[in-house]
Amino acid sequence: MVEWTKKHILEIKDLTRQEMEVVFNLASSFKEVSQREVKKTPALRGKTVVNLFFENSTRTRTSFELAAKRLSADVLNFSSSTSSISKGESVVDTIKNLESYRPDILIIRIDTGACLKNFLNYTRASIINAGDGKNEHPTQALLDMFTVKEVKGSLDNLNVLIVGDIMHSRVCRSNIFGFQKFSSKVRVCGPPAFIPFEFEKLGVDVFYDLDRAIEDVDVIIMLRIQRERQNLAYFSTLREYVENFSLTPERLKRAKKDCIVMHPGPVNWDVEISSTLKDELHPLILKQVENGLAIRMAVLYLVGAEKREHKTLRR
Amino acid sequence: MLTSKVSFIFIERKKFMSPIFKEKTKVFLEEDIKRTLYRLANEILESPFYLQEVVLLGIQTRGVYIAKRIRDIIKEIKGIELPLGTLDITFYRDDLTVIGPKPLVKETNIDFDINDKETILIDDVLFTGRTIRAALDEIMDFGRPKRVQLLVLIDRGHRELPIRADFVGKNIPTSIKEMVEVRLKEVDGKEEVVILEPIN
Amino acid sequence: MKILIKSATIVNSKNTILADILIENGRIAKVERNVKEDADRKIDAKDKFVLPGLIDLHTHLRTPGREDEEDLISGSCAAAKGGFTTILCMPNTNPCIDNEGVVEWIREESQKIGIVDIIPIGAITKERKGKELTEFGALKKAGCLALSDDGSSIDDSYLFRRALEYAKMFNLIIVSHCEDKSLSLQGAMRECFISGKYGMSSIPDIAETIRVFRDIEIAKYVNTKLHLAHISCKKSIELIRKEKEIFSYLTCETSPHYFILTVEDVEKSNFHGNFKVNPPLGERNDVEEIKKALKEGIIDCIATDHAPHSFAEKEAPFENAPFGVIGLELAFSLTYTYLVREKIISLNQLVEKLSYNPANILGLKERGEIKEDAIADLIIVDVNKSWQVISKNLVSKSKNTPFLNSELMGLVELTIHQGKIVYERPFFPSINLSSGE
Repeated sequence: MVEWTKKHILEIKDLTRQEMEVVFNLASSFKEVSQREVKKTPALRGKTVVNLFFENSTRTRTSFELAAKRLSADVLNFSSSTSSISKGESVVDTIKNLESYRPDILIIRIDTGACLKNFLNYTRASIINAGDGKNEHPTQALLDMFTVKEVKGSLDNLNVLIVGDIMHSRVCRSNIFGFQKFSSKVRVCGPPAFIPFEFEKLGVDVFYDLDRAIEDVDVIIMLRIQRERQNLAYFSTLREYVENFSLTPERLKRAKKDCIVMHPGPVNWDVEISSTLKDELHPLILKQVENGLAIRMAVLYLVGAEKREHKTLRR
Repeated sequence: MLTSKVSFIFIERKKFMSPIFKEKTKVFLEEDIKRTLYRLANEILESPFYLQEVVLLGIQTRGVYIAKRIRDIIKEIKGIELPLGTLDITFYRDDLTVIGPKPLVKETNIDFDINDKETILIDDVLFTGRTIRAALDEIMDFGRPKRVQLLVLIDRGHRELPIRADFVGKNIPTSIKEMVEVRLKEVDGKEEVVILEPIN
Repeated sequence: MKILIKSATIVNSKNTILADILIENGRIAKVERNVKEDADRKIDAKDKFVLPGLIDLHTHLRTPGREDEEDLISGSCAAAKGGFTTILCMPNTNPCIDNEGVVEWIREESQKIGIVDIIPIGAITKERKGKELTEFGALKKAGCLALSDDGSSIDDSYLFRRALEYAKMFNLIIVSHCEDKSLSLQGAMRECFISGKYGMSSIPDIAETIRVFRDIEIAKYVNTKLHLAHISCKKSIELIRKEKEIFSYLTCETSPHYFILTVEDVEKSNFHGNFKVNPPLGERNDVEEIKKALKEGIIDCIATDHAPHSFAEKEAPFENAPFGVIGLELAFSLTYTYLVREKIISLNQLVEKLSYNPANILGLKERGEIKEDAIADLIIVDVNKSWQVISKNLVSKSKNTPFLNSELMGLVELTIHQGKIVYERPFFPSINLSSGE
């Protein structure tokens, strides 16, 4: 048994392999809780959890909200469309304002990257990153890895392929750092404009040809493609993108036999993944959603049940 | 393999951080444990239950092994295998923010309906009563048993809540500073109950 | 008022001499050994260096428009405290410095304050929009020596050519902010491994270099003076080095943060807004190349690019924070600590980069050198004193610097502007203010 010492979940970069394993073990326990008649435990009773979403995301927010409620925490939802952000209040001011309510956990989703560590100066609460700009989305990566672990039994020595808009994907970055800590090899594949500068230095293999990239892989993560990117000439037309980077049954045959396919959702069928694969692949993608809840309960529990002896503002 | 290495580090650290204890007396030897469990099983059988309604719930970790043995003894005597569930009460503790999160949670597995059942909750040592309070809360989240009774191998006193055991292996008066450890083959490699006292 | 500085070690760009300096009527009356004359004020400069007043080609004073971030008094004080006696302020204000009215107003106000000489840089195009030329002649008459649209580059090559041609007629220098906006877009930091690792929107170094190339080629074609602002990357320097051999009208500057900080410092700061500048901080090899170019004289000047921003703006997430850091109070100490002490350049070269060359570029013949008959702009520095950059001790209204809490060597002890002591650590005698150290 290891002791848990992290107060925040900001980046997978900061987590050790052991810490991720703790999260996975707890997530299994919480999956069981969700199957009970009363799907709730009192672990975070009396704690205040704020869902602070500066960027819209119903799916992630719902998952966190339900996770917090199943741990008996009080949940406050604060999203930019309903808040004073639209009236010109700054992000930092919003956090300072919320601090007056003494929240225990802030779950933050924001459209600017790598800014959460600086926010720690303004709050005593634990911060959980629910997606910061294009930087990281740690709970999504944890749930992806947890799903792989459930199916494959282990996360060691796998070939993982991530396909699509690598550049703008926080899910991709978190997964790369996560899988690499389990000594798995990560390949990325997409049109060159979607591959960040000097990305090979991260220790990933870069491919532009999906047919070659897919050979011998155990896990494929298909990223959602945003059609607006076409306007900035990251690729020419959607038709051509689909032709080159869509997952089809023929392509899937080149991967390992027991290869699993995941997608952070929602899927654009026939864009990222051919809809002929829907029956085969959709169950696992839905299982990711279920696992997402358990993973979020686990991280909320870990940071929420933290010892509170030194409750002074770090300045 | 990695997990075992980590647990080793943790034990070393715990030893280092907590006060050091030494063995004061052996209360039970292997034979005593066996005899007591037989007696407790018989007490259950002598109680006015329909055996068909009885279910056993062991509290992780040692309560589970005691529950398994009780189940086996009853099977040996009556030829009936009682349903057995396991409870991990971590998420229900009232001291989570004092001790910090417990990262390792063991299995809670109740794969039968507990509604209207004669439920016997089983643990190794009864001390403050807080574990039992948490277990009761957790049981209620699974359904509404007809009755919940408590079986413990050792009752060492010092209750902090109005809780008492229905089936007691042995009452041992102890000082609050002392520790009572039930050691079982499945977890500890030996069978005994010892009282430990702090060295300083 | 007569001031006599005794046993001064005078550091000019070309030489170092030991002499006394007599200042009379705002001019340097005598530079010789053992001046016997009486003075109203005698200063013993033993063990200290006397340098010509520093000249900053690149300052943002935020006035008019954002006086909450900096005004002419706080800007003048910050300059004097940092050893500057002449500063050129950029026109990205509101209203923009694109007509003689604003220029005259700033000149008059700053002369009333009288701490340093503030010379506005006029805009090249109206409201810096890159569409229509301003009245260069009127700006020149009002006091401008240089023109710039700093903050943005003129994307229209035709218009830029015409601006250079028109500036030639008035003998004005065009200061170019080199940035190809179609490549830099909304970038917040240099495109590099770290930007990819954190998914940070980024600016490739070629966004600068491509514009450096275009601007030099146009200036060469019309054969006129061109000064390139804040050069930040190796590729640009390689280009400038080559062009300077054949084109003598070309000059350029860099800023202290470009020869000290790298993208790794941005990462270490957890992406704090105080590390966001435009052009963005480069990589290790850029820093090394800039140092080399300073040593070789390829980069003529060190300018501060002093860009005050309020705390609230800079505490915003990195990608949303505005560009720029303050520099007037730090430039001398930073240059001394990181270049002179590290033996990259000599103290004479420091004077060249921070005073002599800027004066030369602007055609200010009576500044940038301590000699008889020159304007008495000079400073006394103690290079053996270390000091810590502490927010509350900065006299600039804004405190946005990446060097907060760092320990620097070299302290300006005294600043004389036009024969008047305007700063004597820690006091500003003429306005009865203390810097609070």
